[in-house]
Amino acid sequence: MDRISQSVVKKDHLPKMSGRSVYVADYPTEGILFGKLLHGKVARAKVLGVDVPELPEGYFYVDAKDVPGDNNVNIVLDDTPVYCRETVEYIGEPIAMLCGPDEKVVEQLRDACVVHYEELEPVLDFRTAAEAFFDYHFGHGDVDKAFAEADKVYDEEFETGYQEQAYLETQGMMAVPEESGRMFVHGSAQCAYYVHGAVMRVLGCGPTGVHILQDVTGGGFGGKEAFPSILACQVAVAAHKCQKPVRCVFDRREDMEYTSKRHPSLCHYRVAVKDGKVTAMDIDVKFNAGAYSTLSAVVLQRGIIASPGIYNVPNLRVHGSAVKTNTSPCGAYRGFGAPQTFFAVEMMMDHIARDLGMDSLTFKAAHLVRQGDPTSTCGKYHFPVPIPAMIDEVDAACDYRMKRERYARPQTGRFRRGIGMSMYFHGAGFTGSGERDLIKAVAKLRKYADGTVEILASNGEIGQGVRTTFPKIVANELNLPLEKVYYDHPDTARVPDSGPTVASRSLMVVGELLRRAAIKLREQWIDGQEQEVEERFREPDFVIPFYIDKFQGDAYPTYAWAVNAIEVEVDTYTGITKILGAYGSFDVGTPIDYNVVLGQMEGGFLQGIGYASIEKMDYDAKGRIRNNSFSDYLIPTTKDVPNLKCMLHVEKYPDGPYGAKGAGELPLVGAPGAYVEAMEQALGGVKLHHAPFTAEDTLAVIAKEGL
Amino acid sequence: MVNGYAPASLQEALELRAKYDVVPYAGGTDLMVENRPGVTYLFLHRVPELRQITVDGDYIRIGAAVTFTEALADERVPQLMKEAVSRIAAPAIRNAGTFGGNLGNGSAKADSVLIEFVADARLRLVSLNGERIVDVDKFYLGRKRLDLRNDELIAEILLPKTGLERFSYEKVGGRNALAISRVSFAGVFGMENGRITNVAAAFGAVADTVLRYKDIEAMLIGKTFEEAKALKAGYLKAYADRMVLTRGRVSAEYRKNVCMNLLSDFLAKFGI
Amino acid sequence: MDGIRFILNGTPVVYDGSAADRLLDVLRDIFRCTSVKCGCKEGECGACSVLMDGVLYNSCCVAMGAVEGASVVTMEGFRESERFAVLEKAFGEVSAVQCGFCIPGMVLAAEALLSRNPHPTEDEIREGLSGNLCRCTGYNAIVNAVGIAAKEGDGLW
Repeated sequence: MDRISQSVVKKDHLPKMSGRSVYVADYPTEGILFGKLLHGKVARAKVLGVDVPELPEGYFYVDAKDVPGDNNVNIVLDDTPVYCRETVEYIGEPIAMLCGPDEKVVEQLRDACVVHYEELEPVLDFRTAAEAFFDYHFGHGDVDKAFAEADKVYDEEFETGYQEQAYLETQGMMAVPEESGRMFVHGSAQCAYYVHGAVMRVLGCGPTGVHILQDVTGGGFGGKEAFPSILACQVAVAAHKCQKPVRCVFDRREDMEYTSKRHPSLCHYRVAVKDGKVTAMDIDVKFNAGAYSTLSAVVLQRGIIASPGIYNVPNLRVHGSAVKTNTSPCGAYRGFGAPQTFFAVEMMMDHIARDLGMDSLTFKAAHLVRQGDPTSTCGKYHFPVPIPAMIDEVDAACDYRMKRERYARPQTGRFRRGIGMSMYFHGAGFTGSGERDLIKAVAKLRKYADGTVEILASNGEIGQGVRTTFPKIVANELNLPLEKVYYDHPDTARVPDSGPTVASRSLMVVGELLRRAAIKLREQWIDGQEQEVEERFREPDFVIPFYIDKFQGDAYPTYAWAVNAIEVEVDTYTGITKILGAYGSFDVGTPIDYNVVLGQMEGGFLQGIGYASIEKMDYDAKGRIRNNSFSDYLIPTTKDVPNLKCMLHVEKYPDGPYGAKGAGELPLVGAPGAYVEAMEQALGGVKLHHAPFTAEDTLAVIAKEGL
Repeated sequence: MVNGYAPASLQEALELRAKYDVVPYAGGTDLMVENRPGVTYLFLHRVPELRQITVDGDYIRIGAAVTFTEALADERVPQLMKEAVSRIAAPAIRNAGTFGGNLGNGSAKADSVLIEFVADARLRLVSLNGERIVDVDKFYLGRKRLDLRNDELIAEILLPKTGLERFSYEKVGGRNALAISRVSFAGVFGMENGRITNVAAAFGAVADTVLRYKDIEAMLIGKTFEEAKALKAGYLKAYADRMVLTRGRVSAEYRKNVCMNLLSDFLAKFGI
Repeated sequence: MDGIRFILNGTPVVYDGSAADRLLDVLRDIFRCTSVKCGCKEGECGACSVLMDGVLYNSCCVAMGAVEGASVVTMEGFRESERFAVLEKAFGEVSAVQCGFCIPGMVLAAEALLSRNPHPTEDEIREGLSGNLCRCTGYNAIVNAVGIAAKEGDGLW
């Protein structure tokens, strides 16, 4: 193990362990106003008016009319209102905020508001939704010719559901008007500068008119990438009106029902096969974006780029769309569009293999991409693809091949077993040229006279360990003890914009900037003096420029790779599936801290298994999400996957710090493919097409197939 | 205290119950989720008479304010009941949750109540005017409707001392812990001199109340193995025809399917 | 009327509000024990776990009337103990803390488990912590940490 990989006690360990860390809900309540949102109750309607009860002194009603700047939250497009316009477009859309000093009174006032609606016909079925926020096409080769010449054409559709991030700390933001007139906003968030830009625009002020602090954040997983910008704008407008600090912390039901989730998807694959090999794929990917576009553009981009999987597909045609429905806007969630398409392609390859009388692993292995091969967007896999070795590692950990063969034989009795495998990548960092053209990350190191070094960057600690791994990199280059280097939660008043905490980019991209900055500082180091150095993002030379209009070039400089296997035992009487083991080999390059990376892999893998199996969320005929509590939306407990084994495979990336690549998202992506493939085997070789695959689904298959 | 009374004896509790409009509070795990505004609670955790487990000639008597954790640690509590309560939620909920509260909440998902149904348990209800003993299935009048007067408290659950040794219990939840039952099943079997004496079967979480059909059970009572085997198909059909299940977070079809599988397995387990 | 008297982290205190109020809210808002986290208010996540007379409870599901006379321990009190020091070291060693939100409740669940069962098996640890949701870690590191603490803290529990 490299020295940098050796684990240390995390910098935020003790304050979190001892309960001293201050999350946004933990600030003293004296002198602050509690904000509670008035949410729309119908999926689509014109808001004719709101009867607001008489407000006691010190209580306020805040809505779109109180927005001093632009009533639009800056995300990718600007279609998300701070407070609703003339219509509400989904159940839960914020109409107004009630603010006041007594939380219970605020709640009562909010509940006493009567909203008059003129109901309009909502669009709820995303299969037939007509309006696409985004529509992309790309491909290469001669797809029609390949289909014309095929021995056989496969045509299947795959579906995935919502997934809720279910971070333990709900969304929460607080805005504090400062004496100088500047607005201070702090709270639970991944991307301080996203919030900064959004609040500026809504308050109609310049960059120095606001500053944003990321508080200690109780989990994000993508759910706190864009949504905090919306909530921050709402509290900032309220604080602007009330001229008092305003805090809004969501309750669990509010959070589960109304905040962004993983996009439900429908993936239609047509595949041409000739001489036992895939010659073409014609793929149609549709994501349910919900009522506003938020991050759907970029989620969809990542999803469709991954849609042919890690296989060589000589002729490819991909169409992706993100359609509008009158439901909660979907957004970022660990994996960012890729879990949906990887599920579809893994199942598709498995189904073709079995139709050809081959095992899916053999068939997939025959199509694997290798170093130097073109990517789906005619870029290049510049670095070695370690998948074959990782398959062997997983096989060694769980006797995959032996079990796969054994469980394929006819099974009888109440309990039946199956094992399945998935293999996939996660493109490291932003899709395409975002890093170069949009983010343009800047990071700084400030050395104080006493020799301590502070890292100035905007990447938020959300549990993934950047408050530890960033200092480890800098301390390593400066040959300083780790105690001498520190990284606090970012406040946009004092740190440069090193970009958002997303896309598994922080460590790989910003970590490398910090490594270079540390080298620079080392070269200039003068004892006893205060010094500052800065580094800016440079795209590595080898990257083939990416053009988003054509979807051509290197969508990612490099890839993190993974192989997952999941072994199940199905109770055919109840449909309950016991997970006998979940095994993953993950290549995220050099782990900057072994425990930190292992923790990411284990946590992400378990989230993926939840997504594949028990995490079911849907809306009813009125567009209302009913799975809005921890008793109705089930996430795994300590007892659900006790045998979860993660292994690290290291294929170093020369442009990441010490060879590190993006890590955070990778472990979630492949679980549905491995789990559902295992379920197919336990259920006698049936072909399945959706995730999550629940106990109820299992029993329905058993009844239908007469198993 | 404001909005609450914490009596130290059953007599005092009954007086308060008769005098005020109070909601009996035992463990709080359901009440606090409901969190009714303006409620006044009658806290029962300090009432010694409700906190004990005793055994007399016929019954194991579990006090209404006995927690699930306490019952799990008591060797006199039948294994069947322990199987069920050991799978309730998680330790913190079992530390607070009580037998009386599980009954008083009126839900068909209550895991201890399922066992009371299958075991022909009886309840001792007390008031200042005296006490009455009711069969648990009579106590449930419908969804969230109980045969409990405004001046009464549930004092004890009376479980038969014998006859619960041969059982089948299955809880079908959404995950391995912290799971609310989607279907629960308990069966108790008895045989003497080659003839079936008991074939009780109860289904939880599938309808407004726990379901049990004694008239269908009667088809097999007094029968030999061979006779019962011959009757099995008709017996299962009778259940299938009778059970009209409600949908919840899972469909009625799923529930029915699981119920029939578990019922059939129960008979198979005991040789039928 | 008399207030509700109880012991909070070793100190006698009185609460004058409603007996129907949640212990969770009272601990956080009145006594400023903000280590007690609110994750759901429905007894489904364990983030608000506290010890009452040594027994683990979800403080969101406890009405103040049920607290009278009890001794309540939150992380504010427990962190002063030798047992905490052992758990703290073990959790740190395996980096079992990620976002941290579940941790105070998780650690009190571990304390409740170890005080009943000082040398639990892995299954027993998983059972003991089964009411405490964590979305970050996948639980392995937490389960390992409790196992390490049981070994290192031999004799403390």
